[in-house]
Amino acid sequence: MNRDDILKDINARFPLDIVDIFDKSPKRVYIEIKPVSLTRVAKYIFKDLGARFNTASGVDTRHYMEILYHFTIEDIGLLISLKVKLDKSKKLEIDSLAPIFEGANWIEREMHELLGINFKGHPDLRRLLLSDEWPEGVYPLRKDYKEWDKKAIRDRGV
Amino acid sequence: MSLKLKALLKSPWVFHLSTGSCNNCDIEVLDCLTPRFDIERFGMLLAGSIKHADVLLITGSCNRQSVVRLKRLYEQIPKPCLVVAIGECSLSRGMFIHSYNCPVPLDKIIPVDVYIPGCPPKPEAIIAGVVKLINKIKEGKAKKK
Amino acid sequence: MIIYLYYLLIYGFLLTAIIGLFASWVDRKVTARVQYRVGPPLLQPLIDIVKLLGKDTLIPTGASKAVFLMAPLIGLASTILVSALLWVNNINSTNTFLGDLIVTLYLLAIPSISIMMGGFASRNPLASLGASREMKLILSYELPFILAVLVTVIKSDFSIRLGDILNYQAQNGFIAGDLSGLLALITAIMCVQAKLALVPFDIPEAETEIIGGPLIEYSGSGLAIYRLMKNMLLFTLPFFLIILFLGGLRFDGINLLFSVLKYIGLVALITVIRNTNPRIRIDQAINFFWGPMTIMALIAVMLALMGK
Repeated sequence: MNRDDILKDINARFPLDIVDIFDKSPKRVYIEIKPVSLTRVAKYIFKDLGARFNTASGVDTRHYMEILYHFTIEDIGLLISLKVKLDKSKKLEIDSLAPIFEGANWIEREMHELLGINFKGHPDLRRLLLSDEWPEGVYPLRKDYKEWDKKAIRDRGV
Repeated sequence: MSLKLKALLKSPWVFHLSTGSCNNCDIEVLDCLTPRFDIERFGMLLAGSIKHADVLLITGSCNRQSVVRLKRLYEQIPKPCLVVAIGECSLSRGMFIHSYNCPVPLDKIIPVDVYIPGCPPKPEAIIAGVVKLINKIKEGKAKKK
Repeated sequence: MIIYLYYLLIYGFLLTAIIGLFASWVDRKVTARVQYRVGPPLLQPLIDIVKLLGKDTLIPTGASKAVFLMAPLIGLASTILVSALLWVNNINSTNTFLGDLIVTLYLLAIPSISIMMGGFASRNPLASLGASREMKLILSYELPFILAVLVTVIKSDFSIRLGDILNYQAQNGFIAGDLSGLLALITAIMCVQAKLALVPFDIPEAETEIIGGPLIEYSGSGLAIYRLMKNMLLFTLPFFLIILFLGGLRFDGINLLFSVLKYIGLVALITVIRNTNPRIRIDQAINFFWGPMTIMALIAVMLALMGK
């Protein structure tokens, strides 16, 4: 299957879930989907198309919180990025992909502790990277993060 | 100068420690140990265990987890010892000065004897810095405990 | 009484230490030159030991203090004793007593055992790993070493006195001149390389693998005594081989030059083997010593019994 066939196939299978498809370049395509349908589309791309799960990235933009899941199909050289937009005024949570493939386990732990997104159904949502003295509920990669450490030295002293 | 200090300056054994660096400074320190910039002519050897070391070469901006280990290692090195801070990240955290994970610079945690700037410093700069420190101690200008 | 103290301190300790430190410098300088760099200055091994004596001695909590502090001293004491014994026999071969070859073999096993004791006494898993590897190495190289020494005993009319071996070589030429002696000398040089813990057999103290092995928790004066013991062994073990196979060191006339050449030749051979080989694993070392080396030593023993 080549690139156009794959995109037509996805378009035909999930007509109500896809919000937007953005063709960035011959090798990259961004597919934006609704948060409720994440597990369906990801399961299709991972299991039926045989793609490889690369990584996931979480970004805190001004208006919403977005998560990108990157899958690669290496035979034809295509990178599909599934974009999910979460509303910041409501509770930030989304279904976890860890029950489907194990590769999403640690990256979701990292996104949980640095951005504060809750993943429903994740088997083990512990702290991964931050140190033990870090307080709960403070998420460093958000735009409204404030310094909580009174003993930090932030000037160069010159 | 006492015999202890004189012998220490003629045969300093180095121990290399990285507290969360990008590894560029570590590669330059490794270059110093190769035959081109041979440091065995100064009597320096690479010590494997911290208890055999005299000079602690520290690279990297100290993040919260490695500060705990750094303090433990500094307690284990037999005194008298010298501490050398290599690279911008260990001088003042460099470009990571506003990072959430690097609260304090290195010289607020352990006492540092010589600072070698550069990102990364060349091996010639590292050797020149260590030689300057040795000369300063010999002339009695640097305070040594 | 005074004469024994004189032998112990002057010959056993001072002369051995000076020649051993010089040999260690020669080893490091030749290694540096082979790797196309400048090496350390002449007094470097001595300065290393003086510097280490001036540092703190840290004892880990939970380690057995008595064994931890006594182990280097036991190793150093046995090295001084065995050096004094060998020097006394070398100077005047009538000073020998019955069985002093066996005493020498026992005393030469103690430095390795003291490193093992020190490794087990520090409460550290890496030190225990290094000490257990040292134990396996001792088990493997003692067998061909004793068989090689047996060749010299057979050739000098089945006597276990060092003086008789020296006298036999003074009359009949070196034991290494015959085929059986040559095979035994080669086996013994390999075993000495393992006893000194030099590459390719420095598995117990591999620096990059187990960070110093049994010596990982030693600092300050304990480490200084261990380094002094190793440098003295760098003189004592080739000296033992020279007495057994190459006729001992004699200091009259032209023999002075030959003695110096004999010793420097052995040290150079050890250095060359050290620089041209990688480190081998412990199971490969055991296969090497219980396989080819033991067979070569057995062939040497049979040739010696047949009179060749």
